[in-house]
Amino acid sequence: MQRKAAREGSPFTGLGPVFMKEFSDHLSSARMMVLMLFVIVFGAFPVATSLQTLRSAVDPNSFIFLRIFTLEPEQVGISFTAALNFIIPLMAIGLGFDSVNSEFNRRTLSRVLSQPIYRDALLLGKFLGGLATLAVALVALWLIVLGAGLILLGVPPRGVEVARGLSFLLVAIAYGGVWLAIAILFSVIFRSTATSALCALGVWLFFFILWPQLAGALLVGFAPSEIRTVDDYVALQSVGLGLMRLSPGTLFSEAVLGLLAPETRTLGPMLPSQMRGAIMGAPLPFDQSLLLIWPQVTGLIAGMIVVFAAAYVIFQREEVRA
Amino acid sequence: MRRLIALLALLLLPAVAAHAQGDPPGMKGLFLLTDFPSQTVRAGETTTIRVKVNNAGLMPEPLALSLAGVPQGWKVDMLGGGQPVGSVMVGVNQDVTVQLRVEVPKDAKPGSSNIVLSAKGQQFQQATLPLTLTVGTEAPAKLSLKSRLPSLRGTPRSAFEYTLTVGNDSGKDLTVALSAQGPANFQSTFTEGYGSNEISSIPIEAGQTKDVKVKVTPPRDVKAGDYPVLVKVAAEGATAELRVTLQVSGQGRLALSTKDGRLSGEAEIGKASSYTLVVSNDGTAPVEEVEMSGTVPANWKIEFNPKTIASVAPNDKKDVQVSVTPADKAIAGDYVASFRANGRGEQASADFRITVTTSTLWGLVGIGIIAVALLVLLGAVARFGRR
Repeated sequence: MQRKAAREGSPFTGLGPVFMKEFSDHLSSARMMVLMLFVIVFGAFPVATSLQTLRSAVDPNSFIFLRIFTLEPEQVGISFTAALNFIIPLMAIGLGFDSVNSEFNRRTLSRVLSQPIYRDALLLGKFLGGLATLAVALVALWLIVLGAGLILLGVPPRGVEVARGLSFLLVAIAYGGVWLAIAILFSVIFRSTATSALCALGVWLFFFILWPQLAGALLVGFAPSEIRTVDDYVALQSVGLGLMRLSPGTLFSEAVLGLLAPETRTLGPMLPSQMRGAIMGAPLPFDQSLLLIWPQVTGLIAGMIVVFAAAYVIFQREEVRA
Repeated sequence: MRRLIALLALLLLPAVAAHAQGDPPGMKGLFLLTDFPSQTVRAGETTTIRVKVNNAGLMPEPLALSLAGVPQGWKVDMLGGGQPVGSVMVGVNQDVTVQLRVEVPKDAKPGSSNIVLSAKGQQFQQATLPLTLTVGTEAPAKLSLKSRLPSLRGTPRSAFEYTLTVGNDSGKDLTVALSAQGPANFQSTFTEGYGSNEISSIPIEAGQTKDVKVKVTPPRDVKAGDYPVLVKVAAEGATAELRVTLQVSGQGRLALSTKDGRLSGEAEIGKASSYTLVVSNDGTAPVEEVEMSGTVPANWKIEFNPKTIASVAPNDKKDVQVSVTPADKAIAGDYVASFRANGRGEQASADFRITVTTSTLWGLVGIGIIAVALLVLLGAVARFGRR
C-alpha cells in the first residue's frame, strides 16, 4: 500500500534538470572530445577522398551530393556511411556504458534520488542526454560534410537531396539510440563500469564480426536438402536476410542504401521476371524510398524502445543503497 | 598446175580490189554530192551544208572550188577541216568533205536563191552542184516533248517519276531549259536519264532526243485527287509543253498520344490504374479497324476500352481508356509499357513510363510496431514507475 502511495504525480518530474546536466557533462567531458576527434578523423578521410574522386570524374548520377556519402574511394576502400556504421556504435557505447553504474560507484545516485526526482526521469534523462549529445555530434559531422561538398563541388544540393540527407541523419541518430540503449542496459546490469563497457563492446563485436558468419552457418541448417525452384531459393535468401537483419548494423546500412542510393528498388532478392520492363537506374520517388526502408527504420526505433524498456525495468527493480 | 593458179590469182586481184572500193564498176568522173540540195534557211541565222567531193577513177589533181549566184549580202564560206579552203584534192575513188557555211542576213527577203558550187581541175575534170536555198518565213516547230506514262497514281508519300523524251527537231544543237509548273507546294526536280544530278537544262544535238526524268513530290498533307503538272521545255524561242497528271489517293496516318501529351503515369501495386490515350489520324484517308495492343512487364495486366476502333476519320481523334495493373509482386520503380494502335497497314506506338508505387499499408504496420514498443514501455512505467 505504501508503494502504491508512492506512485503519484508525473514520472517526468525532474527530467529537465537531469537531461540538461547530463547533456552539459557530456559536451564538456574530455571523453566527448576524444570521441568527436575519432569520428571526424574516421569520417573525414572517406569524405575527402570521395570528394576528390567526384571532382575529377564526371558522375552520371544526378544525386551527386548523396554520392559523397556513398562513394567508396579506391584509396580508402570504405565509404562514409560504412565508416559511420562502424563508428556510431562505438560513440554511443562510449557515451552510455557508465551512465548509471558510475553514479553508483561515486555514491551520488542516492543523493540524486533524494531530490524530488523519480528514477524514471533519471534514466530517461540520461538516455535523452546521451542521445542529444550523439545528435549534436552527428549533425555537426553532417554539416561539415555538406559544407565541404558545397565548397569543393560548387553545386548546391537539390531539395530532394537535402530531404534524403536529413532522413539519413535521423536514421543515424536512431541507430545511435539503439546502441546507447544497449550501453545503458549494461550499465544498469553491472556495477563495474569496466564490465559493462566490455559487455557492450562484446555485443558490438559480436554483431559486426561473428554474426554474419553465424547467420551463414544457421542458414545452412535452414536450407532444404536440394533447391528445386527459384521460389525455394528466394525463400532461403529471405531467411538469410531476416537473420542478418537481427543486427542493427544491417538495418542501418539497408536504410542508408535506400535513402542515399535512390535507384535502389528493393533490399531483398529480385527475380528476373520482376526486372522485365523496368527502367534500371531510374531513381525512386522519395516517398517510395521511405516506404522501402520503413521496416528497417521501424526495427531500429522499436529496438531502441524495447532495449530501453528492459533497462528501465531492471533499474526500477534494483536496490539503491545510500 | 600450181603455176596456173598463181597466174589466175594475179589476174583477179586488181578486180577484187576495185570492187572493194564500193564504186559501181565502170562509173568514172568527178562528183559533188550533198544530202539535201534544196534546203530552207532562216534569215539572220547560219546554216551549214555538207558537200562531198567524190573522185571516181580519175587521176587526182587539185580542184579549185568556186561559188556562183550568191545573193547580195549573203556570206558563204567554204570550210575544210574547220579552215577556209579554196581547193580540194581527192584521191582515186575517195571523198573529201567540204562544209558550206551560209550566213543569211537578217533582212533577207523570203524567196529562193540558187547557188552553184563548182569544182574545176586544171585540165578537163569539172563538176557542179546547184543548191536551192529558200529563206523561210515561219519558224518551224523545233522541240518535242513526249511521255510514255503521263499519268501516275500514288499516295501523298510516294514519289511521282515521269520519264519524258525531249526531242530537238531543228537543224542545230540546242540547250533546252526545263521547267515544271504544278499546284502550290508541289516540288518538281529534273534528272537526266539514269543520272542522279538535278538539272535545269540539257543540251540536245540536232535531230536527237534525250530522256529526262521529272520527279514530282506532293506535299504530305495533300488531299486525294488529280493534280496536273505542266512540264515545259524551251530553247531559243521554241517551246513544247506536256501535261502530266498525279492521281493522289489518300492515306491514313495514325498517331498515339495522351490528352495532355504526357507519357508517364503512376500505378499502385496490384491496383488497376487507368490512363486515357488519344488515337489520332493526321493522314488524308480514314483508317479502318484500329486495334489496340500493348506490351507490359511480366505478370502485369493490361486492358483497352474499346479494344478496337471501327474507323478514325482524317483529322479526327478517338479516346481509348487503358487500364494497367502492375503484378502483385512488382517492385516499386519506373517501368516501360508500350501501347500500339494497328490499323490496316498503319500503326503507331507510344512508350509509356509507369512509376509503380507500393501501398502505404506496411508503413502503418511499422508505426503500429513502434506503438506496441511504446506500450510495453508504458506498461513498465505503470508497473514499476515512480520509485
